[in-house]
Amino acid sequence: MATKRLQNVSEKTVELALKEKADQAQAASFMWDSALTRFANSQIHQNVASKAGGVALKIVIDKRIGTLTVNTLEENRIKETIKQAVKIAKITPPNREFTGLPKPEKWAPIQGAFDKDTANCSPDYRADIVGEAIDTAHSKSPIVKAVAGSFSTEMLAFAVSNSLGVSAWAKISLASINTTVISELDGSEGFGYAEQSSRNVKDIRPAQIADRAAEKSISSVKPKKLSPGEYETVLSPLAVGTIFNYLGYIGFSATPFQDGQSFVKYHLKEQVFDRKVSVKDDARDEHSLIAVPVDGEGVPKKAVKLVDAGVVSERSICYDSLTGGREKGKRSTGHSFPPITSGFGQARPMPINVVAAPGDAAIEEMIKETGRGIFVTRFHYVNPVDPTKAILTGLTRDGTFLIEKGEIVGPIVNMRFTDSMLSALKRVPMIGKELEQGETATVPAIKLEKLRFTGVTQH
Amino acid sequence: MMFSELGKKSLEEAVREGASYADIRIGKIFDENLTIKRGVPERVTLLQKSGFGVRAIAKGAWGFASSVDLTKNEIVETTRRAVKIALASSRLKKKDVALTPQTTQRDKYTTPLKRDPFKVPLDEKLDVLLQAERTVAGHSNLIKSSSAFFRAVREEKLFMNTDGSEIIQEITWCGGGLLGIAVRNSEVQRRSYPSPFRGSFSTKGYEFFQTLDLPGHAKEVGQEAVDLLDAEKCPSEETNLVIRGDQLALQIHESCGHPTELDRALGTEADYAGTSFLTPEKLGKLRYGSDKVNIVADATVPGGLGTFGYDDEGTKAKQAYLVKKGLFTGYQTSRETAHELELEESSGGMRADSPLALPLIRMTNINLLPGDWKAEEIVEDTKSGILMLTNTSWSIDDKRLNFQFGTEIAWKIRNGSKGKMLKNPTYTGITPEFWGSCNAISKDDWMMWGTPNCGKGVPGQVMYVGHGCGTARFRSVRVGLIK
Repeated sequence: MATKRLQNVSEKTVELALKEKADQAQAASFMWDSALTRFANSQIHQNVASKAGGVALKIVIDKRIGTLTVNTLEENRIKETIKQAVKIAKITPPNREFTGLPKPEKWAPIQGAFDKDTANCSPDYRADIVGEAIDTAHSKSPIVKAVAGSFSTEMLAFAVSNSLGVSAWAKISLASINTTVISELDGSEGFGYAEQSSRNVKDIRPAQIADRAAEKSISSVKPKKLSPGEYETVLSPLAVGTIFNYLGYIGFSATPFQDGQSFVKYHLKEQVFDRKVSVKDDARDEHSLIAVPVDGEGVPKKAVKLVDAGVVSERSICYDSLTGGREKGKRSTGHSFPPITSGFGQARPMPINVVAAPGDAAIEEMIKETGRGIFVTRFHYVNPVDPTKAILTGLTRDGTFLIEKGEIVGPIVNMRFTDSMLSALKRVPMIGKELEQGETATVPAIKLEKLRFTGVTQH
Repeated sequence: MMFSELGKKSLEEAVREGASYADIRIGKIFDENLTIKRGVPERVTLLQKSGFGVRAIAKGAWGFASSVDLTKNEIVETTRRAVKIALASSRLKKKDVALTPQTTQRDKYTTPLKRDPFKVPLDEKLDVLLQAERTVAGHSNLIKSSSAFFRAVREEKLFMNTDGSEIIQEITWCGGGLLGIAVRNSEVQRRSYPSPFRGSFSTKGYEFFQTLDLPGHAKEVGQEAVDLLDAEKCPSEETNLVIRGDQLALQIHESCGHPTELDRALGTEADYAGTSFLTPEKLGKLRYGSDKVNIVADATVPGGLGTFGYDDEGTKAKQAYLVKKGLFTGYQTSRETAHELELEESSGGMRADSPLALPLIRMTNINLLPGDWKAEEIVEDTKSGILMLTNTSWSIDDKRLNFQFGTEIAWKIRNGSKGKMLKNPTYTGITPEFWGSCNAISKDDWMMWGTPNCGKGVPGQVMYVGHGCGTARFRSVRVGLIK
């Protein structure tokens, strides 16, 4: 019912905008209901629920564009909004790069993207799941000191209409749990982390997640310091997901590509990564969690081959209609963001349904094939240092271990890496056979021949 | 129904449902965002957000619910939902939530403005941006991308709680900036003015944006971006590092602002942003920096981006020392966390990025107090070192100890003079060692820097915060981390 109501709101908004003499109009109305139970020190400390919604409106008058987002679905307030957006458009200078709103294209809903139980999950159910996670972690060992994390359930629905005939909608649900376990032995802390996301809340397995996090945490106490340097590195899927999300932001988005800041621009059709590395962005892949068939402009989401057997090309880039219109022969690939209100700024078109091709190795085999190296559970506070060269920096976190002669020999103090991913992903001897589903990336573990660690912290 | 009547209705309903404490925030946000990029208006948007959020304690635990629908029925339903959520929370509590006492307030606060940025005609603002952006672009064919930004935000909000407080606030801020990107072959360099992240912002009127004088600085932005293409690479060494305010602001933010948030120190951000090396047993004992280092959280400083009348749980804006003469002396707190440490009062740091979001401990204005030096004297006094300006990358570990920053531009300092320009500068350190090496802080170029993009919390929130600082010098810092 939500999508039908939103379709009506969007269509009506476009109709009203045209009456106000707009040349073209686009309306994207949305509803976003979310709830999240957060825990720390083994108790719930934040427990929230929010009902948001509204309309994002774009008015075009002779290439002059005004956009206005208002968080109401009430017709009278939308009418006021249209008048304001028309005023904005009239006094805005023309955007010469604007080639028109998207034209209608065929699209089909994604089956199984929405689960009613997830959307209607109660605070008591969330408390049950959190309780199970906390109890499981503490039951692993008396050295488990504290359990933290969050468990969220949400639904997003949106409908997009425009005056050229676009009429499309999406409705998804998402449940996510993450758990951080802190252990302490003789004054030394050890951290461990695990997470799970699914379209269906009933898939969430708190005991498994807590068990995995607790095991890492217990094994992480009394870490030793390792000197910075280049090491063979086994990255868990969590760490790999972070890397590919950043490469999506700095490399595969049309915005940095057109600004000259994307590494892809300077390596077109080159073998930049190992041949074993293939990555796509595909909302229709069964693993994708933000399973929206269309983007925030109503354009069907196209599958984009970001990395094809280690090669990047012009076809690796994700566009929305504005960036697509800027380049001859290009058009939107359906990567405009869904219309949820945010004060953070305009999101660039980028991949949010990353799926990497699996390999044939188990993590245990990767460790077995490592002479002296580092196992990384996940990265913290990664940021680009030089996007053109795909240089990233960040720290390891929540379970970093030394591997020697094919075995994990003990925990190490967290380390900082600063390295070009063009170099790190150039030689990937092994790729994991299991894919792990994350909110925006589904990826396997991988083994790097080397990663450059530039510093050591103190825990 | 007036907002205060809706608020009263909510609080009555919360108590009827069993809440021992409740508060409600009802608000509207107007957010105007203008971007001129490569000669065209890439973005002319207005965001209008309104709604309310109810926070309740029932059976000793918290619940929070919010909605955009400002009707009497929705207020009642959402309030009941908040209490129901609190009851679910109470099933997994170790002890009852307790709040430090607070004076009941009935007050109004409005950001003082000379010229309301929302009343300035849109075309006037766009003209300034177009002129400035075209000047950046026109400097050289090597400038492949140039942008000019303006943003103005107004937040109107009502706070009421069951203790009897009723506070109305209208907070306005605005500002802007410039960005130029120069490209030659695969070499890319950027310069921003006056600071990165789309500029600098202040709780002042349009007069603040005018003082930034974007057109007057545009040529230099283009010039330096192009000059950087031919600059020498930052050497890899240990040296004296002089940092100007537009980078020092982020250094303060990451290495003092976040670790002194008491929720982090008490472990409640462990799952996401992490914890803090500044644990409670170190309060009043740990040497955080040299005796020249004095850092305060100050929500009262005129023009600070984190300046307001009251925080989002009704605590009056104040100044609190975090570091005094190098000693770690205080935290940023809420009423709940202040009670945990048996502090007499909250530091007034609870803020939410919208009425729909739960208030969290957030930075207000975290300021490094001025020292005795002139910025120029610091350079003149430095025999050998590097001067770094304008942040471009940042990263710090989950206890806020090991940090690494990159800046847009740097210069060698030799025998007290600014020498050759350096590109791709980076530096790294460990927080207390780094601040312990601080041996000079300026006073003449001390100013407030406003950053509107501080992320924290789950669900994520984005807050606007301020940092007051000038130029400072640090000895034996490792620079040049890029191979």
